[in-house]
Amino acid sequence: MFERFTGNARQAVVEAQREARERNAEAIRSEHLLAGIYAVPDTLAVTVLEAFSVDRDAVVREIDRLRPGGRPAIDPEALSTLGIDLDEVRRQAEEAFGPGALDRTRAARGDKGGWFGGHIPFERSAKKALELALREAINLEHNYIGTEHVLLGLLRTEDGAAHHVLSAHGVSLAPARVIVEELVRRRRKAG
Amino acid sequence: MSDATKVAAAASSRDPAVGLAAVASLRGLLESLEELQVSNAREQGWSWQQIADALRVSRQAVHKKYRRYGF
Repeated sequence: MFERFTGNARQAVVEAQREARERNAEAIRSEHLLAGIYAVPDTLAVTVLEAFSVDRDAVVREIDRLRPGGRPAIDPEALSTLGIDLDEVRRQAEEAFGPGALDRTRAARGDKGGWFGGHIPFERSAKKALELALREAINLEHNYIGTEHVLLGLLRTEDGAAHHVLSAHGVSLAPARVIVEELVRRRRKAG
Repeated sequence: MSDATKVAAAASSRDPAVGLAAVASLRGLLESLEELQVSNAREQGWSWQQIADALRVSRQAVHKKYRRYGF
């Protein structure tokens, strides 16, 4: 699927994976793709967003506020409300299995790694956005998939969080398409 | 935490934020303890079937969940 992606678009997908991992998410979601786009400098996608006067910092803050995902942390205070003494549980575990036994478990560390070295799968909405990016490129008769197509794909994926964040900032699909077309035409003329 | 009255009051709290956070932490603790026990059972030579029976889940479920940990 990625063979027709430009260098920038590939970079954005790599950054999306990093964004998901940093947010301790169990999958790469559409909002991670959006954050990934913003992590690559000087892309056509960012030029499009600037044309809509989107405040980048505000978007990143909103993405940060979305569900953190991942396994729940073990909060001793929360457990105490159920009458569970985490220190006592930890002491029992260490007595049986050695020092740090409980804290070393993957579950306690929130580690999704396992054998796959931290590979994070694409969640359905992110996969859909990438497929629609390809569709957008085909419709515009572009023979490559750039960050601008990924952005259009995100705008078309109406059930994705990225779509909601972007529409709240006044970005919508039809005018975005027109801007992409115009930018690509200008770039071609330029050289 | 040793203050029993305080704990009882919190446990019966109708504040969803308190109750749900407690359940989330409990789930985290459950995952940790399960991982410890499954790892130990494998080290002691238990089969996936034996572990599954003890956990009262299917052999496929426990194998799928822990196989990648290399137990």
